[in-house]
This record gives sequence, structure tokens and C-alpha cells, in this order.
Amino acid sequence: MSFFQLILKNLFRRRSRSLLTLGGISIGIAAVVSLSGIASGFERSWANVYKARGTDLVVTKSVTRSTMPGPFPFALKAELQRMPHVREVGALLSDVFSVEDSPTILVIGWETKTSLWNHVKLVSGKWPDDSSKNTVALGTLNAEMLGKTLGDKVQIESGEYTVCGIFSSPALAESGAIVMPLPAMQSLTNKEGMVNFFDIWLEPNTSVGDTEKLRVSIKAKFEGLTAFNPGSVAENNIAMQIAKAMTWAVSSIALVVGAIGVMNTILMSVFERLHEIGILLAIGWRRGRIMQMILAESLLLSLVGGFAGCGLGAVAARLLQMSPWVHGKLEADVGLPLLGIALLIAIALGALGGLYPAWIGSRMSPATALRQ
Amino acid sequence: MSSKNALIEVRNLRRSFDYGAVQALRGISFTVEQGEFVSIMGPSGSGKTTLLNILGALDSEFEGAVTIDSVEMRHLAEPERFRSRTIGFVFQSFHLLPALTALENVQMPMFERKWRASERRTRAAALLGSVGLEHRMDHRPSKLSGGERQRVAIARSLANEPKLLLADEPTGNLDSSDALKILEVLGAIHQQRNMTMIVVTHDCDVAAATNRTLRVRDGQLVEKQISNGA
Repeated sequence: MSFFQLILKNLFRRRSRSLLTLGGISIGIAAVVSLSGIASGFERSWANVYKARGTDLVVTKSVTRSTMPGPFPFALKAELQRMPHVREVGALLSDVFSVEDSPTILVIGWETKTSLWNHVKLVSGKWPDDSSKNTVALGTLNAEMLGKTLGDKVQIESGEYTVCGIFSSPALAESGAIVMPLPAMQSLTNKEGMVNFFDIWLEPNTSVGDTEKLRVSIKAKFEGLTAFNPGSVAENNIAMQIAKAMTWAVSSIALVVGAIGVMNTILMSVFERLHEIGILLAIGWRRGRIMQMILAESLLLSLVGGFAGCGLGAVAARLLQMSPWVHGKLEADVGLPLLGIALLIAIALGALGGLYPAWIGSRMSPATALRQ
Repeated sequence: MSSKNALIEVRNLRRSFDYGAVQALRGISFTVEQGEFVSIMGPSGSGKTTLLNILGALDSEFEGAVTIDSVEMRHLAEPERFRSRTIGFVFQSFHLLPALTALENVQMPMFERKWRASERRTRAAALLGSVGLEHRMDHRPSKLSGGERQRVAIARSLANEPKLLLADEPTGNLDSSDALKILEVLGAIHQQRNMTMIVVTHDCDVAAATNRTLRVRDGQLVEKQISNGA
């Protein structure tokens, strides 16, 4: 009989209790995996947008009170355009609307005749132009979600728009979006002459150092605005920060509940076995080995719960991704690094939950325990 | 009193409980030679089990001097390690682990030795064979008779090849037939291994099977030595 077999035997003695604890841990870990996967997917989908556009710097408002950055004048574009290493500036205004049956649809107004349009590909129809304020193009995923095709009408807020084109984008967030020319978006949102993003493309071979200098000088020159690299989109997006904070808040609660569950199970198991632990001490087991045994039981329970939670979390992330609130905006990012972190958390839970019971068990007096 | 071959030396051993209100042992002194089979007799509450607990390194809160195998038992740094290497215990209530089979129970003390799982299994099987339980190895304690359980406990006490075997009323929970078998097993172990054995008992038949009997009453030795001629 190996030490591992002994641990298994101990856990199998109270099958229902072990299984319930396992369930508790796996739900905690599943919450971590699914929510972190969604938050990370959210972050990645926006990073992909900028990657697809080939943007070098993004300029937006430094302080914002809503999920979308606040507006600032389009007129600043001319000044930006004159700054060193700047090849092109593209202006856009975006917001999130409830469109027909879909609760949250991203609607973007792009400045025409800029590189903003280069990365997207028209699948059918034509692009809307500045002359028409009532036409829009739908991303392929958006068209599928809304069940629209060319010539159909789309109701956005109080305005009715005709679908003149359907496009595909390498970025999922754009595939689920509606695009219109910038003036039309300004009119829809009553923000004439305003934008909430400038995408900047730099001259080829601009060094990282020069990019950073430019970023800093934009921040210094334009009060209230900030410039960031597309890679650091998460730190500059309040929605992402909220998503991350929510993820960690919910995950922490789930993990605390999981840790208490493990501790309760192992503590009960130790109290039930005080007599047996006394026997083991009497026949020569070291106190350290008693600790090892109890900790190993706790760790094994948590590790198995961790594996189950990873599987459950991956499935939950998939299901969340298909919900109407999330569908078409992001793809859950449940990769190996996240699963590895989740397993490490499970191990930490096991160690945390098992430490006190292990200490209690190992401090027993064998003579007292044998009398019980 | 000291002897070259003494495995156990006890001098003026005192043990009290409840801050001195209960005097369990009141100045006991005796020596046990290597290879001796000694019984300790006395009425309930006379201090026999307290004495056995001290000899078994289960209790170190005593006054006086107790030396076993040249190790001073008071303030022993690692009593578990000492027990594991030097002492085998047999209890009146068997104290087997209920979830484990006879074979697994016998392997339990061996976890403190650097033996592989297969070696532990082989040794445990041989020990169970030596107490006549080769056909009951895969049974749990609940499926064994009282006598069989005690034989498993005896096999377990020998698991780490101890120098000293301590048995607390080993036949106390058994009928006369099972008790006789246990006596035979203990006698055989003593003869074959020349092991030092101390048995606490109420049973005169058990005491008669040993080399020498120490009688305890009210925490004191009333007759230091009765040679049984066993």
C-alpha cells in the first residue's frame, strides 16, 4: 500500500462529503476560469481591433464616466497631424446601443477616406458614404445576429437606417458592429463636430523610443486627452477595468467559499479520526507525517476539484459567450496560462484549507486520543 | 540495580495528575533485562497503564529516571521516532484502523521506514503468516474475530522489528480460547526473536506464561519480583 493509496482510501471513506466538497471547489475554480476567460477575451478582442487596423497610437479622453470615452473636438486632428512621425490620423466616434432585439451593439462612425476602412472587407453591397446619413454597413456577425441583409431597415434609437453593405473584419468586436460614416454617427448621437477616438498611424521605421516620446508629448500638449499603445488598451478602457474588477470580486467570493468548504470537510474528517490519528502516533508515525497525510488529502481534493473546475469553466465561458449580451463582442480566452493559474489557485485553496486541520491533527497527544 | 544487559531501567518513577491531587505512580524502581518476558499485574487504578504509557514514550510528564535502550525517556526530543524504531504496542482494544485490511494495518508503522510499497507488503504478509493469518490478510477488522484482530495487532507491533514489545491487557477483550491462542503467539515471538516483552494483565494465566511478574498496587511495586519459571 502506498501513501497515495492511503490518502485515496481516507477520502473515499466519506464519498458524499468528498464529492460535495469537490463540487464546491470546482464551482469556485469554474467561476475564476469562465469570468477571467470572458474578461481576457474582452481585452483581447479590443486589442485585435487595433491590431487589425494597424494602429500605432490611440488618442482618447483621459477621464471618462461611462463605458465609452467622452467626446472631444474633431478639429484637434489637424494639430495631431502636424506632430513628428505622424503619417495619418483617423477619427471615429463609437457608442453602444440597444438595437432591436440585441441589448448591446457597438455602433461606430468612421471618418471616410482614412486607413480606418482598409482592414475591413466588403462582402456584399457597398460602403455607406458621407452623402447619405441613413445608410449603414453591418459586420457579418451583426447581420447574422439581427437577421438582416442588404436593403433591410435597422432601427437605432429614433433613427431608421438602410443596410447598404455587409463587411467582414479580422476583429470579432467589429464583426459584431454596425459601421456608418462619422457625420452620420455625430448626427445620431447629437455630437456634431465631435469624436471619441483618434487612431494614429506613424511613419514606417519609427522607433519605439520615438513612439513613446510622441505619446508623452500628445498627453502634454492636449489637456484632458491621453495617448496609449494598442497593447495597453486594458488600462485605458473603463469597461475592461470594470469587467476585470467584477471578475476578481466574484472569483474571490467563490474561492473563499471553496476554501471554507475544504477546511470544513478536512476538519470534520480529522475530528472524526482523532482516535485513529492517536493510533498512528502511538505506533510511531511522526507528527510531520500526520500533517503530510491530512494536507495531501486536502490538496488532492482541491486538485481534482481544480481540474473539474477548469473543464466546467471552459464550458461555462462558451455558454456565456453565446449569451445575447456577449455574443458577437468577444471570444472567451480560456488558454493554458489561465488554466494553469486556476490549478495553482486550486492547490493554494487545498493548502489553505488543509493547514489548520493538519496542525490540529498533528498536535494531538496519542495517549489522550487512544482513550477516546 | 543497573545491569550490563538491562534494556529498561526505572528509578524512583513518580507520576501525578490533576496538579498532584492524584498520585498514579509513587516511586517505582525496577530493571528489565534484554530478552526478558515480564508481566505487570495489579488491580484497576493501580497505575499499570500509566507505567506502560511512560515506558512506551506516550507520556513524558513524570519524575524520576526511565532509560530504555540507553535512551533517557524524559524530555525525549522525538518520541514518535523512538517509538517507531524501538517499541511495538499491543492494546487491549486492538486499535486497528477500521477502513484498512489486516495487511494494510500491519503496513502502517512501516511508513516510517524507507521501505518500498512492495517490500512493506511482503514484510506485512510474512508477519501475518507468522501469527497464522495468511488466509485473512484482505479482511477488514470488522470481518475478523476478536482473537484474529489481536493477532493482526501483534503482527503490526512487530512491523518495524522493535526491541521492546509492550502489551496492555492483550487478552482482556477475548474469550478463553482466543486468549490462549494469543498467549501462544506471544510466547512463540518471545522464543523465536528473544524479544523483550512487558505485558500488563489481570489474567494469572498470562502472568504465569512470563518469566517474571511485577505486582503494582496504589502506584507502588508491592513485590518486586516473582519468578514464574516460564
